[in-house]
Amino acid sequence: MTALPIALVPVVSARRAPSTARNIATVARRELRDAVRTRWFWLYTLAFASLGLAVSFVSAAGAGGAGLSGFGRTTAGLTNLVLLVVPLMALTAGASSIASDRERGMLAYILAQPITRTELLLGKYVGLGGALFGCIALGIGACSIIMAWMGAPSSPVAMLWMSGLALLLALAMLSLGFLISVLARRSSVAVGTAIFVWLTLAFGTDLALMGGAIALRLRVQSLLALSLVNPLQVFKLWSLHAIEASLDVLGPAGLYATEEYGRGLHLIFGACMGAWIAAPLVLAALLFSRRSPL
Amino acid sequence: MATRLVITGVIGVAALGALIGPAIGAGSSDHAPPAAPIERGASGPLGEIGRRLRDAAPGAVVEIPAGVYREHLRIDKPVRLIAVGAAIIDGGGSGDIVEITAPDVTLKGFTVRNTGIDLDKENAAIRVTAPRATIEANTLDDILFGIDLREAPDSRVTGNRIGGKPLDIARRGDGLRLWRCDRTLVEGNTIHSGRDAILWYSTGVVVRDNRGHDCRYGLHLMFSDEVTIIGNEFSRNSVGIYLMYSTGIEIVGNRLLRNRGPSGYGVGLKEADRFSVRDNLIVGNRAGVYIDGSPFTEARPGEFSANTIAYNDAGFIFLPSARGNEVVGNNLIDNIAQVSVSGRGSLEANRFWKGERGNFWSDYTGYDQDHDGVGDFVHESYTLFENLMDRRPSLRLFLFSPAQQAVEFVGRALPAIRPEPLFTDEVPLMRPVALPALAGARATRVGSLLSGAALVLAGAGLIALGGGVRR
Repeated sequence: MTALPIALVPVVSARRAPSTARNIATVARRELRDAVRTRWFWLYTLAFASLGLAVSFVSAAGAGGAGLSGFGRTTAGLTNLVLLVVPLMALTAGASSIASDRERGMLAYILAQPITRTELLLGKYVGLGGALFGCIALGIGACSIIMAWMGAPSSPVAMLWMSGLALLLALAMLSLGFLISVLARRSSVAVGTAIFVWLTLAFGTDLALMGGAIALRLRVQSLLALSLVNPLQVFKLWSLHAIEASLDVLGPAGLYATEEYGRGLHLIFGACMGAWIAAPLVLAALLFSRRSPL
Repeated sequence: MATRLVITGVIGVAALGALIGPAIGAGSSDHAPPAAPIERGASGPLGEIGRRLRDAAPGAVVEIPAGVYREHLRIDKPVRLIAVGAAIIDGGGSGDIVEITAPDVTLKGFTVRNTGIDLDKENAAIRVTAPRATIEANTLDDILFGIDLREAPDSRVTGNRIGGKPLDIARRGDGLRLWRCDRTLVEGNTIHSGRDAILWYSTGVVVRDNRGHDCRYGLHLMFSDEVTIIGNEFSRNSVGIYLMYSTGIEIVGNRLLRNRGPSGYGVGLKEADRFSVRDNLIVGNRAGVYIDGSPFTEARPGEFSANTIAYNDAGFIFLPSARGNEVVGNNLIDNIAQVSVSGRGSLEANRFWKGERGNFWSDYTGYDQDHDGVGDFVHESYTLFENLMDRRPSLRLFLFSPAQQAVEFVGRALPAIRPEPLFTDEVPLMRPVALPALAGARATRVGSLLSGAALVLAGAGLIALGGGVRR
């Protein structure tokens, strides 16, 4: 990590007074570079891309060659993959960011430079967000190319929606990861907590809701509203809504959503996702600048 | 009263003038008729076509030149009324437009537009109440009901384009309706934006090579027997083909695409009997095939063969009452639920294989070691999540989520809570039966390639940016 002080030199020796934007950009660039250099980033990218390709191959080998299309297994499989891999990636990346720096004494070192805690946090957030987007874009882009190459049906618009929404999901999970990271005392605890949160969001809440729906005979309105609490469900519903224009594939609750809110669903999903991105990040920034130990 | 008399008189004189005027003009000058459609006829009781019809002898051929005719016609003698050029009959937004009350009438090549919107009176563009009519190559536009045949057996409805009014679906009329029209041929028509195309009490009808889209029912049979439905395409309707209380129906080589909505079916069968559904392409519907109480008498098993049923929310939906169907030699490809039963029930009274032949199931997990084209293991469908969905449809909300996979994994891993298999195919096919190709898939290929490349470049660019700030 000897490269660090050199990277921060522009901040320290800038002729103009260091501005917030410039500080954030510098930290972000460093964070992006560090991320790209880690094995974790490449491992995740490789896993995401290869699983995506496997999904595409399997669905194209079925009957995709005949040019029959629908919300086929490909899009469904990719949705599933994003739901599993992206939150895990983003949560662990976020959780280890501040905590590991603190553990290695880096935090004290960096904050000795003319940079505020909020700037540091935001810079790290932007940098890691960029790295995650690179990973998602590489993975989904590769799938798109392979499927087009094989002549399997795939809609370019669907792929672009999918990447964009996956990025939003990644940002939401990254925010949550940062919150964990600020709160946790050790980086191992942070990563452990992140994995627990991932398990809860990916499986726990949905399974609980399913059980609740059966046991309590929830009405579709309540079921829909409760499912919107989970950002993973928001991603799934939003991508289905954007790609299919109707949620009727999701049965009564989906039909209710489409009939009742129509195009307004974009706003609803956007608001939910926005809240999941903003709230943990703001909370993390507040906690980090107020009390967090170095 | 007096004013009405005056108006009638004025209109009468005007009509007379319109009739005599061109005749005099034609004698004195010989300039060619204008190319653009001209307004003809007055708004009197008889328009120009009406007078031509009045003067025609039974059996005559009446040719109508291009133009816009604002009139309502009643054809009460057997004539052949044929448009030469773009002849437009405009109903002015009221009532029916063409009424055929004599047998053996031909109406060919007209554009008929702008009926009333009175659903009580069933305002129709063309209404036929006599046998052996030929309605051919007409274009119907902005109409409530399109072609309405009442007790008009042995008629021919061919090559028409029928487009409804942009009304709410409940306020539209039927694009095509046959009421007691035995042995009628319906061929090569396109019907869109209407309510239904519907056959009532009509035996021996042939419906061939039609297209229906953006309607409610693409084709609806009520109490109509011995009907042949071949080579049609019904897309984006609420329901593609729906049979009710009909016997002896052949549904062959049709394309049923993306018929969706709360009760969206590709093919629906309610208490139908002696039916055969073969070689159809059924793609992207809410339910590919919906079976309610069919076959009704079990006189002959319901036959489903060589259909390709793909990417529907459910390939087949059976109501628990359905028994006696034979589903053999079909392709069931990537339907979210391949076969489901609405509510609780089993499919044991229906067969999914016969002799040495079953169906091709895209979710079959076995293999074929002896290379006889048939999987070595039985195909049984018992996914826990589908079972839950069948019983509680609101759980469909959790489709495509990791939780769904978790439930299915549990169902596979713990036989104790595994549901009974819904059906069994003892001889699943390893390869699809002749797959039809759908045109139009190529167009998205370049787009996918470009968007994929753009994504990869964006990702690589970001990473390069990250790696590139090394100093």
